[in-house]
Amino acid sequence: MTRIGRRSESLPDLMADAAHAALRGAGLERPDAIVVAAMNPEEFVGDGNFASYVATHMGFAETPAIRIETATSSGAAAFYAGFAQIAAGLRRAVLVVGGEKMTHLDTPRVSELIGRSIDPYERSYGATMPALAGLVARALMARHGVAPRELAQVAVKNHANALRNPYAHFRRAVSIDEVLDSRMVADPLRLLHCCPISDGAAAVVLTAARAAVRVAGIGQGTDTLAIRHRDALTSFRATRAAALAAFAMAGFGPERVDVAELHDAFTPFELISLEDLGLVPAGKAGRATLDGETALDGRLPVNPSGGLKARGHPLAATGLAQIVECAWQLTGRAEGRQVEARIALAQSIGGIATNNWVTLLEAA
Amino acid sequence: MIEPIQGSRCPACGLTVAPPTPYCPRDPVEMTPVELEGAGEIVSFTTLHSPPAGFRSSLHIALVLLEGGAQFICHGAETRGLRIGSPVAIEAVDDVYYFSHLGALDRARLFWRRAGRAGDRVHAITRSLAKRVWKGKERVSS
Repeated sequence: MTRIGRRSESLPDLMADAAHAALRGAGLERPDAIVVAAMNPEEFVGDGNFASYVATHMGFAETPAIRIETATSSGAAAFYAGFAQIAAGLRRAVLVVGGEKMTHLDTPRVSELIGRSIDPYERSYGATMPALAGLVARALMARHGVAPRELAQVAVKNHANALRNPYAHFRRAVSIDEVLDSRMVADPLRLLHCCPISDGAAAVVLTAARAAVRVAGIGQGTDTLAIRHRDALTSFRATRAAALAAFAMAGFGPERVDVAELHDAFTPFELISLEDLGLVPAGKAGRATLDGETALDGRLPVNPSGGLKARGHPLAATGLAQIVECAWQLTGRAEGRQVEARIALAQSIGGIATNNWVTLLEAA
Repeated sequence: MIEPIQGSRCPACGLTVAPPTPYCPRDPVEMTPVELEGAGEIVSFTTLHSPPAGFRSSLHIALVLLEGGAQFICHGAETRGLRIGSPVAIEAVDDVYYFSHLGALDRARLFWRRAGRAGDRVHAITRSLAKRVWKGKERVSS
């Protein structure tokens, strides 16, 4: 994968860099097929026919390529599409590459484009991703007694982890007070509760041959496009359904997970996800985070990469960046932030949790 | 003023939505139109400090659970004193729905409308009882 952050290179350049690095790592000269993930290159960078563009740009014009999109979880969806081709016996080696470039646009424009993934009626009332996350955060605090310090600690922990990750967007520590004093964005969410706008790309090679890391399970879960059509704001059906499917495929439960990369686009999402995935008992995620259970040296390290919060969130790259981090953790290549792990979980949220993915990886 | 709000209900799962949708989001069946009361309670709310183009800053957005079961997205003029569970009235201004604290006056109106309805019911029952008694007497006399 590429370093995440504000990048001057073009999106196809970033994706080619990530792809060639992954191919070198796998010792593969040419994949049988390519799966490309990009959420909205048409509007972010003005390019269409993107699977062909990216494949051609990196020197694989004659390799079959498709593009996959499920909003902010596109990278994880592309990984599934690649896995499915191999599981079905259609291909022996598939390159999956995802990327997004947004920092050249101003923040209101980026927010508007990301917001296209929201239900049109809710959007007509000015709902943006931070606004909907603000509704979720307030409900979580009021109904589940999550304290402001518990929400802030997610950002503190993930920034501390990113400090050890050379690929991360932010390489600076933040304190609880800094989070609680940062500018209000969508009450009660402040700037440091939210992930940044980032550029970057990530890539993975999937093969039918034995490798150092095995895909143990993949699950997809979905929910209504509109949040007003849901029973609850403080638990995501899409995560629960994805986890159920992934654990059923793997044949083990959440107690076997040693390390997790979760979709902390907003800090309350990490707490909700911990509980939806069954990694922490219901109602305990805030306390567990404040107690250091999810820190790098805790019982269950969560977001050792720094998460979306501090590694950064280049949309369609994110789901793959999580999987890359998990693979590195499982193979002892997470220099400076290495944890002891045999089983890793990656969870990716699409839109406001309308299309989520859980991927379980196991060290072979 | 408490206004009616148009919604729809799923004949299969009972999910009620507002505004109405042609199909239930969870079942591939056509929805039945329903009219909901423009009053309910706050499920959650937020204030957006950098709203999208075309919206005033600061933008108050709330999710309201309407009486009748649908959750509804609306704007508000302010959120001072507002809490999750606060009773609110919904009002349309230029086709945009706003929530406002359900003031003493609105609560009284709502109470009287319901009391009125209940009163009608009591009245109807009394009348039918009286009629039966009367008819009974008629029957006896005829």
